[in-house]
Amino acid sequence: MSSSSNEEVTSYSPGWSNVDVNKMLAPATTQASIKLSIQNVNAWFGKKHAVKNVSLDVKENSVTAFIGPSGCGKTTLLRCINRMHEMTPNARLDGKVILDGFDIYDKSSDSAMIKRRIGMVFQKPNPFPTMSIHDNVAAGLKLNGVRDKKLIRDVVEQSLVSAALWEEVKNDLDKPGMGLSGGQQQRLCLARALAMQPEILLMDEPTSALDPIASSKIEELVQQLKEHLTIIIVTHNMQQAARVSEYTAFMYLGELIEYDQTKDIFKNPHKELTEKYISGRFG
Amino acid sequence: MPRLLDLGLDRIRNIITDMARLSESSVFSALEAYESESNAKKHIFEQSEKLRTLQDEVTDLAIELIARYQPVATDLRFIKSCMEIAYGYSRFGRYSYDIVDVLETLGPLSGCNKHAVSEMAITVRKMILLSVNALESRDKTAAPDLYQMDDTVDTLYRKYLRELVSNLSKNSSDEPRCYISNLLILRYLERISDHACYVGDSVYYIITGSSSPRR
Repeated sequence: MSSSSNEEVTSYSPGWSNVDVNKMLAPATTQASIKLSIQNVNAWFGKKHAVKNVSLDVKENSVTAFIGPSGCGKTTLLRCINRMHEMTPNARLDGKVILDGFDIYDKSSDSAMIKRRIGMVFQKPNPFPTMSIHDNVAAGLKLNGVRDKKLIRDVVEQSLVSAALWEEVKNDLDKPGMGLSGGQQQRLCLARALAMQPEILLMDEPTSALDPIASSKIEELVQQLKEHLTIIIVTHNMQQAARVSEYTAFMYLGELIEYDQTKDIFKNPHKELTEKYISGRFG
Repeated sequence: MPRLLDLGLDRIRNIITDMARLSESSVFSALEAYESESNAKKHIFEQSEKLRTLQDEVTDLAIELIARYQPVATDLRFIKSCMEIAYGYSRFGRYSYDIVDVLETLGPLSGCNKHAVSEMAITVRKMILLSVNALESRDKTAAPDLYQMDDTVDTLYRKYLRELVSNLSKNSSDEPRCYISNLLILRYLERISDHACYVGDSVYYIITGSSSPRR
């Protein structure tokens, strides 16, 4: 979906509604097409070389986890995927990030459009503090020129349903988003991201600030949403990576050490460094 | 600094080592009792029961370690394999008891030709020692050797069966209890041989993360 701010958008059909829960645990297929290809990506903060020549392919409708110790570059790599890295002062990057065959760093690429196609949920829930629940979800639509109130209402509802928040807030849509619990706020942020109908969803430690019940709700949502989205999740929680992802990438000191199916990473990793990290023998 | 999981893994490793020695002793004692016609039933029953209790202990501890520490990779493979190995050793104990039970039920067997059992026992003893040592030294090369010896055991078993059928059809004068005791004990030894192979497989799996090539 593309529009300038002057153009009124009159139709909108999120592709991720009506999730088939029965397919939640469908195994990864090897035939899945490559949605995103990270090719020889290097990223710097000033002189600090944070991501070192990383290449990996992400399959469509899969969940991929980035794991590794603090400072290994996993969040930086995530931010390279939707051009957020370049927004940091003194940050630079080289390499290619190919989305559906198109390099998002190509000169002709539109950074705002990339961020619409690749949504992001952050570590700490960050609803817009002055906005109601409804307006938090609708914010992106309005910024993108959607004016049709009924359409906005429908998308807000659908997004909240998909984020498993609708039943809890449907009578309080005008109340402030900040009045929700931490877990609800994170699902609100997820709904806000989903409202833009992204093709890829990046999640940066989305449950690290949540209690176990709120965390498991997010994990269940990840399983549902992957039917229609490609998801990349950064997590410090090894068990979470093992539970939710089909592919896992282990990073260390900016390098990609091992990238494989999650079942192989956790049962029989090929690299000794991976084995040491996932079994807590580091340091 | 050891991980909390390491304390549990050490404990499970110690129980398995105890089981290895106990099961080895149990089989050797049963074969000795069979050869020397001595009464070892009570002693071997106690060993068999002890092995069964230790097997339960390994399973309980393994479940606890999985639930509390969510082990992965080599740790997880080790725990899974320990449960299988513990079962194998507990079967060694049970077959030892079955061997001495044959002696008590059908004995005395001093007049019987024990050559077939003695011949197979030589290989089975070697297999037990090899499997126990493979576990202690984490030797993945033991698995193919064990399977080779298992082939020898299977061949001896089938050979005895054919001879038995042939002798029975000739109305041999040998006592039926000799045939039956030999056949039963050979069968128990053949099963012990299989379990020794499974121990070798588990060691191979712990080290490589793959099933043994034979399986």
